[in-house]
Amino acid sequence: MSSPDFQRNYFELFDLPVAYALDQDKLGTRYRQLQRELHPDRFAGRSAHEQRLAVQYSSLVNEAYATLRKPLPRALYLLEIAGMSAETIAGQPLDGGFLIQQMELREKLEEMEDLVDPETALDHLVTEIGEDVAVLQEQFSRAYSAQEMTAAAGACVKMQYLDKLLREAEQLESRLID
Amino acid sequence: MRGGRAAVLPDETGAAMLPSVVNYSEGRAPLVGAAALALGSQFPADTLMSVKRFMGRGSSDAASDAQRSHYRLAEAEQGLVRFVTSGGEVSPVEASAEILRVLRQRAVDTLGGEIDGAVITVPAYFDEAQRQATKDAATLAGLRVLRLMNEPTAAAVAYGLDSAEQGVIAVYDLGGGTFDISILRLQKGVFEVLATGGDTALGGDDLDGVLADWVLQQSGAPDLSSSQYRQLQAAARAAKERLSDEQEVDIDLQGVLSAGGSLRVTREIFEDLIQPLVKRTLRACRKCLRDAGLDADVDNIVMVGGSTRVPLVREAVAGFFKRPPLIDIDPDEVVAIGAAIQADILVGNRPEGDLLLLDVIPLSLGIETMGGLVEKIVPRNTTIPVSRAQEFTTFKDGQTALSVHIVQGEREMVSDCRSLAQFELRGIPPMVAGAARIRVTFQVDADGLLNVSAREEITGTRTSITVKPSFGLSDEEIADMLQSSFSHAEEDKAARQLAEERLAAWQLLEGLKSALQADGDTLLDGEERAAISAKMTELQALVEGQDADAIRNHTERLGRLSEAFAARRMDKSIRSALAGVSLDSFDDEVTQ
Repeated sequence: MSSPDFQRNYFELFDLPVAYALDQDKLGTRYRQLQRELHPDRFAGRSAHEQRLAVQYSSLVNEAYATLRKPLPRALYLLEIAGMSAETIAGQPLDGGFLIQQMELREKLEEMEDLVDPETALDHLVTEIGEDVAVLQEQFSRAYSAQEMTAAAGACVKMQYLDKLLREAEQLESRLID
Repeated sequence: MRGGRAAVLPDETGAAMLPSVVNYSEGRAPLVGAAALALGSQFPADTLMSVKRFMGRGSSDAASDAQRSHYRLAEAEQGLVRFVTSGGEVSPVEASAEILRVLRQRAVDTLGGEIDGAVITVPAYFDEAQRQATKDAATLAGLRVLRLMNEPTAAAVAYGLDSAEQGVIAVYDLGGGTFDISILRLQKGVFEVLATGGDTALGGDDLDGVLADWVLQQSGAPDLSSSQYRQLQAAARAAKERLSDEQEVDIDLQGVLSAGGSLRVTREIFEDLIQPLVKRTLRACRKCLRDAGLDADVDNIVMVGGSTRVPLVREAVAGFFKRPPLIDIDPDEVVAIGAAIQADILVGNRPEGDLLLLDVIPLSLGIETMGGLVEKIVPRNTTIPVSRAQEFTTFKDGQTALSVHIVQGEREMVSDCRSLAQFELRGIPPMVAGAARIRVTFQVDADGLLNVSAREEITGTRTSITVKPSFGLSDEEIADMLQSSFSHAEEDKAARQLAEERLAAWQLLEGLKSALQADGDTLLDGEERAAISAKMTELQALVEGQDADAIRNHTERLGRLSEAFAARRMDKSIRSALAGVSLDSFDDEVTQ
């Protein structure tokens, strides 16, 4: 059966410029507008074929929205449409300094549960990681605008490391809440 | 819906609520509702009271729940729960269908005439197997399911439409058997679920439970028989309800203890007993807010479920969210009212663009990888519908089949997650190890139900899939059950089938007629248009006839033929939707 027009990239789908900087309000408004037209609920009384098609289109819009809304998936997607494969991005070499810093952050996280006041320590750590992420986003943005794709990919890989760390911090936080 | 307002339909005695209780006994049709409830303490094993708790569950993981409720479970070959009753073996799906059948009949009697379809609500935390089981039950009861809807979302709709609010809404849903919390954002008529969470092992029944246990402790009662325990639970529940208005009540122990008598309980004691449970719900609220990326700053709190009448629960929720919860709509009816509004929208009775719901998948979907680990494919709180593809390869030369195990849950090990299905991908063209690229697509629809398809990318071969549902029913099983439930009315079944095929044909024909009128000239060339028109004429001629199979075949063919046209229309609506938005936002800027 025919599928949605996957040729169109996600930025074009929302009629937005292909760029790292993004107008979140516009993205949100257009997302909701598209779902108003394409969501399966709008096709509940229609033929089975149209309903299936609506599920596919609506899924595509959801996927595009989820990709563009957050900085890391958006950055990875920009590299992907610039022709860089996931393997090439993952293969970017990391400098020793960054790796040592990662190990230190990870150790801090692992020892946190034994502290007297783990919540406050965790808050500090999450803030610290957040600041690092902001620096990397800036790096990516500059490299991407200058079309220095290798440098942009390098920043992306580092963001992935920090993102993983943040998710582990979140898991620790929910363990602490329980 | 009457005059644009939703109303709950009462039965002939004026009661709106139908207790979800079914009683089975030898040689007569099952009893449903109050009549069944009345037999509960006398025949505990034949009276199924919380069947929702057992939907789509395996017998091993439901065993302790069953024991607590004094049900007898059959040794099931497939791992599916089946109750042993005096009326024979019954599955939770069949028991639910009995309840739905009574409700359907009530709707038919009250409204006069068949119903178009139903929106069925489920706890937000229901997994795929529980949702599938619910849909199966509705099908078995002869209902066309328009949509499965999450209960908290339905409650938000019930409030949201009237007030046309904008902002963030928390729905606190303390049902009988589960606790759900959902955070939604309402913006320009679109409800977006940001996160959903909860505790499946905590509900209003547990509030009754702690009070019942306290009574036992106070009275030093010996082990109770199952019927005595049912009686005690009912007494505890009644006491809980009265303590919402009164400061102290006496629990009648007649029929519970051989000595009879009564026991006084104050609201203070009750609140001390339930405090830990209420705290547990607030922890789930905090987690859900964090998942939604928000602090406690919500604009409205909607309360659902009878147990939210308990003053302590209301105070705790108000304290946590720092504002009083909305309680204008009866917490027992608010979900039904929201579902009715959604049904009204789905059948097209409301103006286009009135309201749209964007819900999420509550639990992550994943597949088993090396060493029994789970790889997440669709993380929880992803907006549905969603489609994700995953590539697999072969690890042996000439390998033509591959097995995929799908699980649902948040834990890392497969053994800690819910097993949903095992898929066998067959018909892979023989190649050297690692050369085949099999793309498996996981599609979750707007009901939260999963569909899987697979394709070998190098050769383009579609691999066939054998589904072995770990739980839930296969389509054949449903067909068999439908067959047996309709066997006494063969003609009914044939008539119903014909009616359904006609409806599907009409939907397609009507849709195409208006589509051709609107876009036939611009989106189709003369040849395409002529081909579609010819097939439409053929189907038109068949649809008044009696041949259900022929109608189905032609509907299917016309549907396939018009698919490209439908896709072009979708693309067109994307363009026009955005053109509209661009103008809107331009207007906003001008007026600001």
